[in-house]
Amino acid sequence: MDFSVFDYISVNTFWTIFLIIHGLLAIALLGALTHQAASVLFPVHRPAGDFVARFRAVPGVGYATAVCVLWVLTFIMGAFIYTKYRIYIRIPIERAGYWKTQGVFDLKEHLVTIGLVLLPAYWYLWKNANAPAYASARKWLTVVLAVFCWFGFLVGHVVNNVRGFGS
Amino acid sequence: MTNLASSPKFKTFAIAFSIVGAVLYVCCDLFGWPLFSFHPGTNRVELGYGPPRLNEGPVMYWYGWVLTTLIGASVAGLLATLLPENTTKNVPLFLLWLLPLVAVPILFYSLMPFWTK
Repeated sequence: MDFSVFDYISVNTFWTIFLIIHGLLAIALLGALTHQAASVLFPVHRPAGDFVARFRAVPGVGYATAVCVLWVLTFIMGAFIYTKYRIYIRIPIERAGYWKTQGVFDLKEHLVTIGLVLLPAYWYLWKNANAPAYASARKWLTVVLAVFCWFGFLVGHVVNNVRGFGS
Repeated sequence: MTNLASSPKFKTFAIAFSIVGAVLYVCCDLFGWPLFSFHPGTNRVELGYGPPRLNEGPVMYWYGWVLTTLIGASVAGLLATLLPENTTKNVPLFLLWLLPLVAVPILFYSLMPFWTK
């Protein structure tokens, strides 16, 4: 007996499920990186009081491995749905003349790949968080990754608004 | 994992991988160095750079660029571990965040056709 997932769900639903998983992973990554970036940019030196102070008071070192795993998983999921995007999303976007939308999506693809290759150094620097020699590099590398992640998330959201898998 | 984090060899590998990887990816984009090309319309995979084929839809190079970058950066990282520790100790760590920032305007420029259409 041949089993096909498409006997139970439509092709659009199939790809939309993976797009949603990609988005959920990105949200988790965004949260972790934003917490960590806030903790290095605006460190809290006394017990946290209000919400903003508590947001900044997280121990950033505990996020490093999770950020790496989430970045890789989000990347793999994005790479998986990218083939369908290229045919069913990008071509209609190009036909509609939304060139700048397409341009920022391509920039997102570049920045998340650069983010991927930065992960080994990022992980090492955080796992040696007690070394003062690494403090500056760790701080700014974390901020760069957070900015790239925010850019990727917002662009992905906008592109999905322009044309999603179910459109 | 703790052993990895305290290993000087891993430090050298990680820093070389990240620095070379960022530079190599930009080169892949600028000079077109995909290890393979993928035609999503027909699921055809071609080694190296493959031009678009008539009636086969678009070609994707990004997967090929990623693979070129990952392999190239891994080789660079492994080679760096063979160097004397004094040599790699002198690599400035600010390159880890500065190079990705420098890459942004370069990559933006490489997408100029999208901004000017």
